[in-house]
Amino acid sequence: MPVTVIDHSGKSLWSSFSEYRHTGTLFLFLALRDIRLRYRQTVFGVGWAVVQPLLPMLIFASVFSRLHVTTGTLPYPLYVLSGFAPWIFIGNAVTGASPTFVNNFAMINKIYFPRAVLPMAVVAALALDGAVATAALLVVSTWYGYGPVWSWLLLPLVGLAAVLVAMAAGVAAASLTAVLRDIKNVVPFLVQLWMYASPVLYSVELIPAPLRRFAGFNPVTGVLSAFRACLFATAPDWSLIAQSFVSTLMLIACAAALFHWLEADLAERV
Amino acid sequence: MSAVRVRNLTKEFTLSAHRPAHRNFKDLFRSKPPASATSARFLALEDVSFEVERGEVFGIIGRNGAGKSTLLKILSSILRPTKGRVELNGRVGSLLEVGAGFHPDLTGRENIFLNAAILGLKHSEIIRKLDEIVAFSGVEKHLDEPVKHYSSGMYMRLAFAVAAHIEPEILLIDEVLAVGDADFQKKSIQRVEQIGQHGQAVLLVSHNIQTVLRLCKRAVYLDQGRVVSLGNADEVTASYLKIGGANRGSRRYHDGVYAPGDGIVRLRGVRVRDSEGTTCGTLDIGTRLGIEIEFEVLESGTALFPSITIHSERGPVLWATDAGTTWHGSPRSAGRYMEVAWIPENTLSDGVLRVAVAVHSFRPPRTHFVEHDAVVFHAVETAAGARGRFTGHIESPVRPLLEWTLEHE
Repeated sequence: MPVTVIDHSGKSLWSSFSEYRHTGTLFLFLALRDIRLRYRQTVFGVGWAVVQPLLPMLIFASVFSRLHVTTGTLPYPLYVLSGFAPWIFIGNAVTGASPTFVNNFAMINKIYFPRAVLPMAVVAALALDGAVATAALLVVSTWYGYGPVWSWLLLPLVGLAAVLVAMAAGVAAASLTAVLRDIKNVVPFLVQLWMYASPVLYSVELIPAPLRRFAGFNPVTGVLSAFRACLFATAPDWSLIAQSFVSTLMLIACAAALFHWLEADLAERV
Repeated sequence: MSAVRVRNLTKEFTLSAHRPAHRNFKDLFRSKPPASATSARFLALEDVSFEVERGEVFGIIGRNGAGKSTLLKILSSILRPTKGRVELNGRVGSLLEVGAGFHPDLTGRENIFLNAAILGLKHSEIIRKLDEIVAFSGVEKHLDEPVKHYSSGMYMRLAFAVAAHIEPEILLIDEVLAVGDADFQKKSIQRVEQIGQHGQAVLLVSHNIQTVLRLCKRAVYLDQGRVVSLGNADEVTASYLKIGGANRGSRRYHDGVYAPGDGIVRLRGVRVRDSEGTTCGTLDIGTRLGIEIEFEVLESGTALFPSITIHSERGPVLWATDAGTTWHGSPRSAGRYMEVAWIPENTLSDGVLRVAVAVHSFRPPRTHFVEHDAVVFHAVETAAGARGRFTGHIESPVRPLLEWTLEHE
């Protein structure tokens, strides 16, 4: 029989981690709750997942195509759409995850469960939208004459990387929002900045050379470049992806440390 | 080996109004912490120790603010203790609030799955117990409707049903047996009894002394965070009801966090007295009896009126307020007030009676405080009165001496 000891020192990082091995069911039902609530009683339903990246694409495509942004051989509207499909998922996930501890205070204050599941489930629920948007993107690519190609089969792997980045950033944002309410207002703004710092609208080649060497340390840069490499069957920039791999691991470690530091007194802090 | 072992548990809160932590960016960049960081601290639990064996239903009693809920929150890992140690042998399930984690827009079935998952059940376990939960709750017909369309009774029943079926080795329950109609309460109490018989340990917080006496062999009585008495449930509840206790019939509130009230009014004392002004712990129901409330108005300008509720062990007996008097509508100036509600002779029935007092105001309707079980007194009966020469058991909570007329043809 498991013996639990509770004292002031709280849980070790390791025993906190091991709690999450048994949270599969909770994770699933929280994500299902989010999905059901989001699309229940909406007329357009999952269609919103397609429209969300489509609208900014139309706006940016019509404005920026006159500026002759270099995107290699790709048509600019398709390039923008291929950036927005993963980005809208990551951006929405971080914005959506950030108020989860504050909004679920009643639950946090009355039931114990591994709390990081809350923001992570929000991210997982939005991943469904990301998948729908990507499916729509595949149709558009085919219409433009790119594909279908075999490398599309690797897209779920890139999606997984995007989910990891979004979960880490989401957990960090939710933890910070619980301590400091101002963060709630800052997150949407930071997410917007993050978009412009990532090659959503432009290609990595447009970044000034001295900065370009470190561009991969933005995890989203690697995700986007891997996503486009798979989508258009082009050669991936391995050094960029390697940098992003390292920075994603760093982001996850930071988010875990931040959350662990905060978790013990979460019910008192919120 | 005991199921729960609590050793020297202490929990200190920093009161939120004085919280030194940074609440916004301005605080973060301020070089000196704000002046209020002299931080008022509040000991919710102080050096609490006890053990609970397997198969035991253990009662936790005490007034509002005694630390009962804080104790259960520490045991369920929601709060972290300041000092001391807890050892739990087995999986812990807690039911601190019925329906916490329920979402109004989800259907009954969806909520069962989500809530059971929050409480720690695996998917296969939920599927196995689904029928049992649904049968217990009695909401079969409405299972696929959103719970926002449920009556509050149905909602409570479903929520309790989920929590009652998680079958942890240690179950923590806070005041939730008081939900639903009489029938469902009976069913819930039986369920807790059953859980205890299956070798699980149950820790039960309750205001209802009858429930504690029925379910628990042992109990602990907490007051202001400290253990007042621990052991046999009969003795512990007796000490809670202050039978033979020193401040039976009277209670004073001193400054600080324990005096109930807000910025406008604070409770200073409650007393049971007779016509001569003597404090009475034991009173003959055949004499006039006064409930005296002393309160201090800290801020002038609000029209205030107090109310009293008297409870017997079986439930509420009477409620009264002075909102009908001439001066309840006029704003009160600051200062101390003493109001006495006079209960005429031959009104109450005998037994242990508990008095709750509250102060309210209108426009906007507001309750400044409610103090449950503020004082306790023992009402005894002598030969005179409504009983006359009748010797049987009297069920009713009041026993006025009525005027009887007789017609005979």
